[in-house]
Amino acid sequence: MNLRRRLLIEWALIALFGTLAVILATHWRGTSAFDNLVYDQLSSISRPKPDNKILLINIDEASLARVGKWPWNRNIHAQLIDKLASAGPRTILLDVLMSEASSAADDRALVEAMQKSGAVYLPLNFHSPGSDGKAYDTEYPLSVLDAAAKGVGHVNITFDNDGIVRRINLCFDSGERSWPHLAELIYRNGAAPSPAFAGLARCSQHLLLPYAPRDSYSEISFVDAHEGRIPDQLVKGRDIIIGATAAGMGDNYPAPFSDGGVVSGSEIMANVVAALRRDDFIASAPVWQISLFSLLPMWLLMLGFLRWQPRTALIVSLCLIATVLVAGMVALSASIWFPPGAALIGIILVYPLWGWRRLQAMSAFMQSELGELEREGEIVPLALNPDRGSDLVGRQSAALGSAIDHLRDLRRFVSDSLEHLPDPMFVTDMVGTVTMANHRIEDYLGPKLKGTALKSLLDRIVAPMHRRSVDEYLRAIEREPTGDHQPFVRFVSPDGSHFVMRSAPVVNDLDVHVGQIHYLADISALAQAESDREEALQLLSHDMRSPQSAIIALLPTVPDKDVSRRIEGHARRTIALAQDFVDVARMGESPFEGTDVLLTNLAHDVTDNFWPLAQERSVRIEVIDDSDSGFVLAEPDSLGRAIANILDNAIKFSPVGGSIQVRTRRIRDVEARMLELTICDEGPGIDPDLLPRLFTRFAARSVPDARIKSSGLGLTYVRAVAERHGGKVWVENGKKGACFHLRLPEAADPIPDPAA
Amino acid sequence: MGGYMRIAIADDESDVVNYLKNLVEEMGHVATSFSDGAALSQSLVRETYDLVIMDWTMPKKDGLATLNWMQTSLQERPPVIMMTNRTAKKDISDALNAGADDYITKPEDPSVICARINALLRRSAGSGAFEAKAVYGAYTFDRIDQTVTVEDKIVTLTAKEFELADMFFRNRDRTLSRNYIMETIWRTTAALATRTLDMHISRVRAKLDLKPENGFRIFTVFGYGYRLESIEKR
Repeated sequence: MNLRRRLLIEWALIALFGTLAVILATHWRGTSAFDNLVYDQLSSISRPKPDNKILLINIDEASLARVGKWPWNRNIHAQLIDKLASAGPRTILLDVLMSEASSAADDRALVEAMQKSGAVYLPLNFHSPGSDGKAYDTEYPLSVLDAAAKGVGHVNITFDNDGIVRRINLCFDSGERSWPHLAELIYRNGAAPSPAFAGLARCSQHLLLPYAPRDSYSEISFVDAHEGRIPDQLVKGRDIIIGATAAGMGDNYPAPFSDGGVVSGSEIMANVVAALRRDDFIASAPVWQISLFSLLPMWLLMLGFLRWQPRTALIVSLCLIATVLVAGMVALSASIWFPPGAALIGIILVYPLWGWRRLQAMSAFMQSELGELEREGEIVPLALNPDRGSDLVGRQSAALGSAIDHLRDLRRFVSDSLEHLPDPMFVTDMVGTVTMANHRIEDYLGPKLKGTALKSLLDRIVAPMHRRSVDEYLRAIEREPTGDHQPFVRFVSPDGSHFVMRSAPVVNDLDVHVGQIHYLADISALAQAESDREEALQLLSHDMRSPQSAIIALLPTVPDKDVSRRIEGHARRTIALAQDFVDVARMGESPFEGTDVLLTNLAHDVTDNFWPLAQERSVRIEVIDDSDSGFVLAEPDSLGRAIANILDNAIKFSPVGGSIQVRTRRIRDVEARMLELTICDEGPGIDPDLLPRLFTRFAARSVPDARIKSSGLGLTYVRAVAERHGGKVWVENGKKGACFHLRLPEAADPIPDPAA
Repeated sequence: MGGYMRIAIADDESDVVNYLKNLVEEMGHVATSFSDGAALSQSLVRETYDLVIMDWTMPKKDGLATLNWMQTSLQERPPVIMMTNRTAKKDISDALNAGADDYITKPEDPSVICARINALLRRSAGSGAFEAKAVYGAYTFDRIDQTVTVEDKIVTLTAKEFELADMFFRNRDRTLSRNYIMETIWRTTAALATRTLDMHISRVRAKLDLKPENGFRIFTVFGYGYRLESIEKR
């Protein structure tokens, strides 16, 4: 499988898994222990100051020692309330349960004291589970006390899973009615509810309680207050909370303090009242917000995995953990609590998971790629070296390393080869930009060819007059990269160098055509040789001919006519030899360029040329056209010469007074319409043994047959011409003499002209 | 052909010049010789010639350059015969297409050279006026009946074939371009398949039995046109 695809799938699975884990952790509070720990640490960083409008009166060990065993006579409480009331407190919270009646006198005394002060608040108690299937039974204070109290509220303590009191509920629903917290009633003291109470989403909602430092509230012992050792200023305008602190009375609770100590119920009450005044309860964020808060960093990290280096991912993970904690702290200071545990779980889960899966995928990929490479067998040896890695990945890395070394060598080899090619070479991509160029072409056109357009490169190296053919060549290759087209294009550069350009498609591993490689061969030397050769041929055909013509021109002044005639013969023979040589040499040097030739017309032309010779030997030549005006696509020069060679041979070996028949006719060949020119003489014919190889050079040179020998290169030339015209030539012995057959394809019909 | 003609001969090969000069003078004309194209050009500005025979390959200014110069610089250009040692058919057609009126490949028989010279002089003298009957060796042309008699045998030709044959005979020994022939006979150059001309000529050759034995042959100048050559019987 494609590595990239596999990694994406792994990635998606990890993202899904991480998301599920985080959401489940959020919902099931799986991280509450950790969250509580963090909460305790964070909340201890900055604690609110104690409310100095609150005075705690503690029923402590000293008080018990002095007053006596608990429960005390209610008269004692009445006395204290009387004393306090005289100093003018704002409220008095008597945090002592008084649900049963004691002696009527004592109860009355307390009722009177309460009524007199008019500021006493009493707690309620609940039993759970309640009777008759109710959730709770409400335990009211003694009805007389209840009536005398300014307010009655609940003082329930909520324990977290770890038994620590971090939160309270300002409102408690007993199933029959809902009770505000006693602290709330103190806050109100007959006035409007606190903002925190008003802002409760539902009655039972818990709020996290910010604790002032332990034992920071003003407090005095019950016994001191009872015995009057308390200045009135300490009481005046304050909220007095009377509660038990003595260890044996069971009203002490573990609170979120780092030293792990306990706080008394009344201190908790004081903190609640203070928090109500400051309005700084800490609300737990709703679950959906926590989920989001927990998922966000994980998702960020997952996205990052797709782009970052592993090292960056690690740093970012650590940063994210810190960020989550800091964000929690910041939120906390804004009185909102986001438990960071789920978020941290997300981060800590996906990081190693991704690392593992990615390594696994890489490992599998490396394994398969290396296997592939080995199978292709281009880079050997690729055996895994067991000494070079302790584990599988280590061994794979070693194998990969050596594979890369090999590829590097290969690349080096390729680039060196290109670089040191003796000829200019460059590569272009599909949009015609040069992506690679070797030194030779940069020597030629200047450096920095890479990135330039093919068009401008050609502008510089191809002379304008050749530009079209080069462009056509490139277009043909682009249209059909592997199709049949001319194998190269030849052009001249502006400075006069001659080049042959060959282009080939570059195909990648998936057989997709990705560019072109262009190879230029500097054939200036070859072109020079060509033009030298042309010059030499020119010399033979023209310059050698010229003095021979002059010799012939001089002949009329030679008095001896016989000598004159012989000199002329030699001069003409010299000319003919030069002509033969040039004709043979030139043939095939240029591409076949045929024109429409009426075959019988050409036969007449050649025959007429031989009239003087034929006349000399009294040979009659008859030209017959049975072809009904058949045309061939021919080069009149070479074809005429080929016919002449056959005819010359026929005349030379015709008996005196013999006749030669030159006949053209149409042949229905298997595949094409053909025309055939037949030249039959009445000579001695040809040795049948020689017939099959008559037109080879071998036959021409080494056969004792005078007839063949005399034709020299002539018949070889004839065969070359026939083949050049797409035809063939053969000879057979007819009734009287030899018959030469020259069979050529008939020219295609011209496109009919509508105006004709 | 009344009176003599003035003929300019240019070739760097003095032996060839002398040979041609003798030939021309034997024909009864006046010959002026030059050894290169530049000298010929200078003279052409001042003098009038009835015919110019020049070599293709000359020092200073070669035949083609001189020919081009004549085309552009002379108001009335005399006919030109280009002589050449080149035998490639392309070279010959190039010379003719460049404006030469005829060409001779060296070395050529004196009789052929004379025939060619005469052919061109005939034209420039404005001869070839229509006579009712014209006799060329064994061939007799009756222009009224549009018939040709070959050695007392009447040959039937179509109108076009007669015109073509008549044209060749009146212009014997002169190279005629395909365009000239088609313009004259078919009054058009375009819209005529080139094979039509080849086939007509082939038929005329067959019907009139034009071959050296009968004193005439049709010579194809590939890439240019045709020439009816008169053959001197030995």
